Amino acid sequence: MECRNYSRFTSRRDLLARTGFGLGAAALHSLLGSTPATAAEHQFPNFAPRAKRVIFLFQAGGPSHLDLFDYKPAMKGRFNEDIPPSVFGTQRITGMVAQQDRFPVAPTMYGFDQHGQSGQWLSDRLPYTAKIADDICVLRGAYTEAINHDPAITFMQTGSQLPGRPSFGSWVDYGLGSENQNLPTFVVLNSLPGNGMADQGLLSRLWGSGFLPSRYQGVQFRSAGDPVLDLSNPPGITPQMRRSQLNTLATLNTQLHDRVGDPEIETRIAQYEMAYRMQTSVPDLVNVSSESQHVLDLYGPDVRKPGSFAANCLLARRLAERQVRFIQLYHRGWDHHGGLTDKLPVLARDTDQPAAGLIMDLKQRGMLNDTLVIWGGEFGRTPYAQGTMKPDSYGRDHHGRVFSLWMAGGGIKPGYSHGSSDDYGFNVATGGVHVHDLQATILHLLGIDHQKLTWLFQGRQFRLTDVGGGVVHEIIA
Amino acid sequence: MVMQEMDPPRETHILLRGSYEIPGEKVDAGVPEDLLGKWPEGAPKNRLGLARWLTKPDHPLTSRVVVNRFWQQLFGQGLVKTSDNFGLQGEWPSHPELLDWLARDFIDSGWNVKALMKRLVLSSTYRQDSAASPELIARDPENRLLARGPRFRLPAEIIRDQALEISGLLKPRVGGPSVYPWQPPDLYKGIVVAASYPGTTWPESKGDDLYRRSLYTFWKRTVPHPVMNVFDAPDREVCIVRRASTNTPLQALTLLNDPIFIEAARKLAERAIHGGGLGYAFQLATGRTPDPRELRALQVSLEEMRAAFRKDEAGAKALIAVGAAPADASIPAVELAAWTAVTNIILNMDEVITKS
Repeated sequence: MECRNYSRFTSRRDLLARTGFGLGAAALHSLLGSTPATAAEHQFPNFAPRAKRVIFLFQAGGPSHLDLFDYKPAMKGRFNEDIPPSVFGTQRITGMVAQQDRFPVAPTMYGFDQHGQSGQWLSDRLPYTAKIADDICVLRGAYTEAINHDPAITFMQTGSQLPGRPSFGSWVDYGLGSENQNLPTFVVLNSLPGNGMADQGLLSRLWGSGFLPSRYQGVQFRSAGDPVLDLSNPPGITPQMRRSQLNTLATLNTQLHDRVGDPEIETRIAQYEMAYRMQTSVPDLVNVSSESQHVLDLYGPDVRKPGSFAANCLLARRLAERQVRFIQLYHRGWDHHGGLTDKLPVLARDTDQPAAGLIMDLKQRGMLNDTLVIWGGEFGRTPYAQGTMKPDSYGRDHHGRVFSLWMAGGGIKPGYSHGSSDDYGFNVATGGVHVHDLQATILHLLGIDHQKLTWLFQGRQFRLTDVGGGVVHEIIA
Repeated sequence: MVMQEMDPPRETHILLRGSYEIPGEKVDAGVPEDLLGKWPEGAPKNRLGLARWLTKPDHPLTSRVVVNRFWQQLFGQGLVKTSDNFGLQGEWPSHPELLDWLARDFIDSGWNVKALMKRLVLSSTYRQDSAASPELIARDPENRLLARGPRFRLPAEIIRDQALEISGLLKPRVGGPSVYPWQPPDLYKGIVVAASYPGTTWPESKGDDLYRRSLYTFWKRTVPHPVMNVFDAPDREVCIVRRASTNTPLQALTLLNDPIFIEAARKLAERAIHGGGLGYAFQLATGRTPDPRELRALQVSLEEMRAAFRKDEAGAKALIAVGAAPADASIPAVELAAWTAVTNIILNMDEVITKS
């Protein structure tokens, strides 16, 4: 038995990344990242970043591009006609409509108009987004490979349709670390639609760290009870008693350290102090009583309702102000297989004003320059109707061949439209942006070369962008 | 799990571009023989054959990999640190001859795991003190050269199991279906859709099943138990051979505040009050008696907590009401709460959650 199959060909970064764990000094870069972005553990950013932080307003369920962003005048008047075979092609459709005899065109029933100096086309369901038309860049040629929610969301969040890879925010945390000592680097906020109807669940593994160490996992801030699990002292333990407990604990741990010498003990003492600080910093963060009426009004009437998308958009701004690196919101309920015309306006209302308000608020604080905001879901919806159809009532199935989303701030070209779909909003016509391209572009704006952000696992250097992805330079200002 | 080979075996094809609709060349099962040795003479081309091939006495990898994993389990890291990767991108073993000797010995013993474990834990290397001078730590921060005993944080499951054991709550029953120990009742709120199919609710167990070993905890992969999650238990979406071991403030919050650990602290307090006092609680948690300075620090803390709870009896009652196990009514609430606040400290000591 000879040991031939070993190699010393590990890169310096591998070595640093691997030896970092379980070591006191390196472990100080923690979930609450006490190490600034320039830590030796990281070689990022690779170049000057345009964005310092990301707010991802994820619209789970698959918002209809045809009823929100992608104006298709050619579909008008073709109600109930068949989608031409030349457009349809031989593409994969979901099992949910596979039994349908035909695929009739369902033109949108909403009005579209151009807005701002940029002349951005938007649906009349988005009156507040219209006000930020010149601040956003709409991608109208986005496309994905997945056709169902779980794989498609997982794809968007981790770069793979199969579960087990690190979430976007985990990759960014691993690459860049934190600039805040008292809050997590990667924070997750969830909201339910105004009609309370979310057909699809979420999965906490969407913000899991996959094969990266768990300190990179997203921390969910909850809207009821403790904002962070186990944040509050147990009943009966006052802050003074807790302080006294921690002092005793620190004494015991210090004595242990004096005897044993393991630097990991010092790290643990520091983490208990950080936990104590978090007990103040997190409640401060979620307490919005100091916000002026003028600011609250930007986000719309729901902002006072804890757990609403509006309230979470405001929290996102407060997190961004505190230099939290990756702020992941999820709004659910966009899965409009049937009754789209009843449900889509509710969802549009939920998100339109708060998202626009967030952009305006960031802008007035001078933070939009280095904060990248993304609004979009895992896929779009079909131009053909699912189930029974009337001119003012139809449903749409999942559609990944083309869909729309928008980005703003953080180095993105404002008032810009990139890419287009064909006359039916079915296929990409120009400027296609694959999910991996989108991910590569977001990393690029953060100053990261997406091909260099890797983690060795099961014998392979894994990336957020898997084996694909190209930066979409056209949308960068 | 039981499986049966199909007879005849199903035809398998390469799927072109990964599409199940475009079968390409027909393929058979096989192994990289040039690299790792010939398929045993006459062995069937199925899982039985694979098992025979893997355990051939001259297979270059299997026994090394297995021995290395048991080493990792006991020492915190393998002789080959990349225990999940013995290939080109893996690391060299720190002690190649030792690994080879252990691997050969393991095969010769008839793959006797118990004998291997016994050999490892009785070795003088394993039995060394974990303490080290600053010079030694600076020279070998990761202890690759094994000049001191292992020292690493316990895995997630054992942290909870140990708290249950120290407090006397652990129910050691072996086997049976998964159980549902306490987790935050609103954990699924806003994440999991309420539906009639299984797995959308957490039917909290009653009685003994609240206190079984964590390996029996029902595992919902999409929303894992937060205590497991926080202490680096993998989410089980992919196979993880080597867990990360992190040190985070969320771990501190969990150990300080989570009802699982508050309940354990109270039961430990009851044991201490009825038994040998603070020193006994310390000993249950660490396996050694406290030195006078440590004992003094705990006694001072107990006095402070007593004074504080005397002014807040309602608070004392609230603290000892945490958890499903009833509080010992023979102990006054203020007294039990004060002791609980101190045993809470003990369960948070680095020494308690660290193997050394």
